[in-house]
Amino acid sequence: MSNPGGRQSAAAKAAAMRAAQENAERRRRWLMIGGVVAALAVVVGVAFALQVQRDTTDPDAAVPAGATEEYGVPLGESSAPTTVAVYEDFLCPVCGVFEEAVSDELRAAVDDGRIVLEYRVVAFLDRASEDEYSTRAANAAAVVLDAAGEDAYAAFHDLLFAHQPAEGGPGLSDDELVDFAVQAGATEADVRAGIEGRAFEGWVRNATDAMSRAGVTGTPTVFLDGEVVEGETLQDVVNQTLAAAQED
Amino acid sequence: MLDPTGPFSLVSESAPRLAAVQGWVGLAARLLVGGVWIVAGVLKLPDPAESVRAVRAYQLLPEAVVPTVGYLLPIVEVVIGACLVVGLLVRGTAAASALLFAAFVIGIAAAWARGLQIECGCFGGGGHREGASAEYPFEIARDVALLLVSAFLVWRPRSRLALDNVLFGTTERIHT
Repeated sequence: MSNPGGRQSAAAKAAAMRAAQENAERRRRWLMIGGVVAALAVVVGVAFALQVQRDTTDPDAAVPAGATEEYGVPLGESSAPTTVAVYEDFLCPVCGVFEEAVSDELRAAVDDGRIVLEYRVVAFLDRASEDEYSTRAANAAAVVLDAAGEDAYAAFHDLLFAHQPAEGGPGLSDDELVDFAVQAGATEADVRAGIEGRAFEGWVRNATDAMSRAGVTGTPTVFLDGEVVEGETLQDVVNQTLAAAQED
Repeated sequence: MLDPTGPFSLVSESAPRLAAVQGWVGLAARLLVGGVWIVAGVLKLPDPAESVRAVRAYQLLPEAVVPTVGYLLPIVEVVIGACLVVGLLVRGTAAASALLFAAFVIGIAAAWARGLQIECGCFGGGGHREGASAEYPFEIARDVALLLVSAFLVWRPRSRLALDNVLFGTTERIHT
């Protein structure tokens, strides 16, 4: 009963103190959260900059003589009425099957002036290789093209598919690649350094990136006069490709 | 909701044992989801170009943002995973984790619906593969399960052995 006002103000003071404490606690918590979030943002930003730098595509990469802007190698007379462009990876097993089915007839069509056959070799299967065969093989083909021209390139291309290693294991060694390059018509002195030193690795990376930009997500993918060949099965694609090559 | 005495608190007078169990369940959930994120991100970090191509293969995002997303995704995955494993900002990172899983489910479902044959690229790789669509149901089920675990952590972010307990001083309460 005595001095109720004083007691009230003491209670109010206590409540005010509690509120102030809670405010301080809340502020501390949010500062802490803000600090942690800011630190994480810095980590993400730095890592992002690193990843951009580590992107292996290289606009200044050396380009092998004879290659097109689309990272292709055209075989045949440019006056031929039909263009057959094929995206392939030397390690891709389905590409091996495809090549076996169409290679001879496509080459005959090239020789007869019926088609331009453009190989667009990419390398995205290093993951399925013990020794980055995908990249090494594509680079070796570019080295052969640069050193010995289209015909040697075509022969080298066929040799690699005829001796295609299985996915998941080791690929052909650099020495074997050099041997096949010589068989295909190149001179060892002209190709060994480029094959071992991966002279066109950057260009191969760019080719793989260009394939992705072209909306191609796998190999083999065939374009007839710029139109992608859609097929439920590989046989579908083979049939349409052969039909185009046989047109007169 | 961060208030430990709030309605979603582990500290319920009536069920201290439940609270203790939930603390350990939360830890297990953090380690599971966080572990998956770290593995997924670390496998993709070595090849940024491949990561960009995997994003592009879904044909969902405009080309202008594809490289950025491709570079960022593995980094964000590792950061989210690391935060979950050490228990840092669990509610926030679990929410981000749930959102990302939802985005992946949508991406895979969209690829499926449009008949694309692409590897999800979830743990590296990506791009076309013959018969890849056979994996879609499993991939979606896995991501939905991980989404649910993430959602649980958004609901009950408090758990044992979390850095949050140290930073935000709730250790003593979780022990009650």
